[in-house]
Amino acid sequence: MNAPTPLIDVAHVCHEYASNAQEHDLVLSDINLSIAENDVVALLGPSGCGKSTLIRILSGLIQPTRGSVSYRGQTLTGVSPGVAMVFQNFALFPWLTVRGNILLPVEHLPPSEQQARLETVLSTVGLGAYEYSYPRELSGGMKQRVGIARALIAEPEVLCMDEPFSALDVLTAETLRNEIGRLLASPDHPLRTMVFVTHNIAEAVFLATRVVVLGAQPGRIAQIVSNTLPYPRDPDSPAYHAAVENLHRILTNTNLPDTACLPADAGKTVTKVDATRRRIAPVCLPYVTPGEVLGLLALLGDEPCDVFDLAERFGREFGAVVRVIKAAELLGFLTTPGQDVIMTDLGKQAVNASTTEQKNLVREQLLKLKIFELLVRLIRVQENHTLTEEELLRELQAALPHEKPKQLFRTLLSWGRHAEIISYDQRKHQLRLYERKHGPRIVGHPVIPPAA
Amino acid sequence: MSQPNRPARRANLMIDAVVLIGLVSLVFGAAHVVGEWRQPLHSTVKIDLSPAALPSYALYSFARGWIAYFLSLVFTLVVASWAFYDTRAQRFILPALDVLQSIPVLGFLPGLVLALVALFPNSNVGLELACVLMIFTGQVWNMTFSYYDSLRGSPPDFRALGRLYDFSWWRRFWKIELPGGAQGLIYNSMVSMAGGWFFLSITESFQLGTRDFRVPGIGSYMSVAIAEGDVRAQIAGVLTMGIVIVAVDRLVWWPLVLWSRKFNLDDFGGTQASKSRLSLWMARSQAVQKFSQAMGRLGARLIRPKHAPHMATSSSLPAAGAPPRTGFGRWLYRIFLALTIVVLAFGFVRITQLLMRVQFSDWREIGFDSAVTFGRVLAAVGLGTIWAVPAGIWIGLNPKLSSRLQPFIQFAASFPAPMIYPWILLLVIKLGGSLQWGAIPLIMLGTQWYILFNVTAAASAIPNDIRSCSDILRLNGWRRWWRYLLPAVAPGLVTGWITAAGGAWNATIVSEYVHTGGKLYEATGLGAFISRATDTGNFPKLTAAVLVMAVIVVGINRTVWKKLQTLANDRCRFGT
Repeated sequence: MNAPTPLIDVAHVCHEYASNAQEHDLVLSDINLSIAENDVVALLGPSGCGKSTLIRILSGLIQPTRGSVSYRGQTLTGVSPGVAMVFQNFALFPWLTVRGNILLPVEHLPPSEQQARLETVLSTVGLGAYEYSYPRELSGGMKQRVGIARALIAEPEVLCMDEPFSALDVLTAETLRNEIGRLLASPDHPLRTMVFVTHNIAEAVFLATRVVVLGAQPGRIAQIVSNTLPYPRDPDSPAYHAAVENLHRILTNTNLPDTACLPADAGKTVTKVDATRRRIAPVCLPYVTPGEVLGLLALLGDEPCDVFDLAERFGREFGAVVRVIKAAELLGFLTTPGQDVIMTDLGKQAVNASTTEQKNLVREQLLKLKIFELLVRLIRVQENHTLTEEELLRELQAALPHEKPKQLFRTLLSWGRHAEIISYDQRKHQLRLYERKHGPRIVGHPVIPPAA
Repeated sequence: MSQPNRPARRANLMIDAVVLIGLVSLVFGAAHVVGEWRQPLHSTVKIDLSPAALPSYALYSFARGWIAYFLSLVFTLVVASWAFYDTRAQRFILPALDVLQSIPVLGFLPGLVLALVALFPNSNVGLELACVLMIFTGQVWNMTFSYYDSLRGSPPDFRALGRLYDFSWWRRFWKIELPGGAQGLIYNSMVSMAGGWFFLSITESFQLGTRDFRVPGIGSYMSVAIAEGDVRAQIAGVLTMGIVIVAVDRLVWWPLVLWSRKFNLDDFGGTQASKSRLSLWMARSQAVQKFSQAMGRLGARLIRPKHAPHMATSSSLPAAGAPPRTGFGRWLYRIFLALTIVVLAFGFVRITQLLMRVQFSDWREIGFDSAVTFGRVLAAVGLGTIWAVPAGIWIGLNPKLSSRLQPFIQFAASFPAPMIYPWILLLVIKLGGSLQWGAIPLIMLGTQWYILFNVTAAASAIPNDIRSCSDILRLNGWRRWWRYLLPAVAPGLVTGWITAAGGAWNATIVSEYVHTGGKLYEATGLGAFISRATDTGNFPKLTAAVLVMAVIVVGINRTVWKKLQTLANDRCRFGT
């Protein structure tokens, strides 16, 4: 990487959100990144890896908890001077017309200059006929064109885009992506430097010169991959395919390490770029529902499957699919050598079982997990065998300080109830061990008192 | 591990005990109130200004407030449903409610009091009822509008379900309509309670010509303390009122608000079904459990259908809108309608007769006073806007701040401002002002909160992306206000203005005419005109002035506010 003057320099940035008075969620851990002129950087990673937070930090919207960001050597204390931003949900002001929205960043210029610039960007994004419409009337694609025009009219040195196409339908997203690609490819457009957030590998390969792969929990840079394909890029070329394949592999290794499921080994799987080596909390059960895991098993078939193909087939975001796979692997239904997903015998048995057998299987597997052992033990030692939600949350917090107790609680609840290990009274917020009722089920009118 | 449970069980027993004590004291309190009501008519009670008498007075006022509230609730459920199902009646009910809403409480006072006292010549019931009904008129209207709106907005899927399973109107009401309206109803009940307390010192103690009416309560306690200039008693009264408001808020409204969240129709965030500590304790208390189970069984029996779906004698499904009406029901309805028309016609004739007796010079005075009061209302709303909009935006954009300040603001908003008018007035006079100007802060004291509430809510609903975007675009100074913040809170601001302005007109009655320390302070204005007409028992003048005020409020609503509201909602709402 030949780095002339770095435009944006991110040094040792960590960021925490205070989820409440005691808990702090570490979203980003020791991020080091420098962005030079003419870089097109993609921040790629599963959801929850803090990529949106990172782009807000390097544009100066958020002050990081630790570390610093500098722009052309100046440490940022507020919004970065040369940055414009395109937002996932467009962030158009509904009370301004398209024209009013686009002109917002250049209102300090003389009117003739404003008009000239407006005409240029309107023709760039193809919005000429919509100048005096209100955003409410426009389709999603048109709205995002306004967002892009508003960012371009300021002639920023760096264009930041936070998942700019993910709120659009597939076809519209494709069109807009191509148009951004054309801008980057055209020699006479001034825009050269860009940072964007995405969870779509093809999007990263299509636009970026460097792809920053992020890992989750906490968000950290796993690897930086440079992409030297010349613009305009041809999605059908072998080199393009190879780049996509390569990124697939890296993302899988980051997020689905072969040994990730054994808590004792979790610390070892952190990739080399993570300098501080913060110990990563043992993942005890990913935050997914039983329905998702069983659905995955049902759809998987006997052939080994690629993680990314799965994500594409389900139309779900990569990170979400990875979480489901992790959970299934934890329960012994899957193995994941490399980036393949293979069903185990147990998994096949689960797929072919009746509902009751399936539940029994899941129960058996769940009870092998330390966390469920803990849960059952906690309930047993209570007087009345009744555990209140507050007590469980306290215990979870003490036992697993790095997890989010509320989220973990909900996950435990959904699995425990599905497998008929526990039952939960939502009126009293109390847990008990589930007791199977014998005899015929009484079917009648569900009785809900009008006022409890 | 079993140790931590013993205290828990002891706590449960404690809760049982507290609940029982609460129930017993409720019964005793009710008996006490009934005893007071059944005493022979004594239109003026001697108010005891010693603090020891306060708990008793607070109890009387509290009972009146809640009786009025339950009347409001019944009225709301009946009238809103009627307006919803009967499209012909709807055309009259809605405008009527709109007008009634803008009539100040003193407009109802003489008729109610004289009629009810005449009806119960030998006991206190008449006067007490009149007082309750006046509180009712301060509570009911916004509840009715809220429930009507929720009926109109109830999801068609649920209604279809109800028809599919052949719900009776009774079952439909409990299973579909009431749950759908619960959240709005509870929120508006809180606002209504505050509205009912606002005029407490008038409703419990007033003059009608030569007759002096007074019922024992914290409102009359305050009005006597104010009239006699007894500062110690005033402070004691204000503190007691404060305690009552905080207690009702914590023990009734807050648990209800959390409970009603389960009726949220969109499932998002439903997993965080938070509960107040209190209701959780209650749910775990044995006594409450037994009781609520019994109530649940009773409720279920009351709602249980008599027959399987569509097995009733009637063969056809009812039409989508109107409920089926039997022959008897139709006759009842007609009789009711005829009665309503007769009553309305009678009222119209009476009012015209009264108005005929108003002299031209009086009309002129009303016109001039209206203009002055209009100026005061404008000033009060304007001044309120100037501070409440920036404050509301500031609070709304800081979630931590808003959760910390919310209880205080709520308290300030629900405290009946007239109780502390003398103190403000004293300050104004000390600063060299008179009530002519001093009435403006008095009006603000009761109405500015609506602006603050609504702006806060609107500001906290500004999407995150829009906030970031305004930072990235470096919208600063005036551009930040005009391009971003003001339009973003505009829908909330307009709603706040409508409520504040309506409230301000009514508040002029108490703020342009203040008795304190044996002296009467009067300002020129429509509110003072109304108060004076009541005091001197001049019913023609009173009717004329009240009518003018109602016409002005409704007129401004129709011409200015409704249009502004449409504009703000069209332009400035976020989302698709």
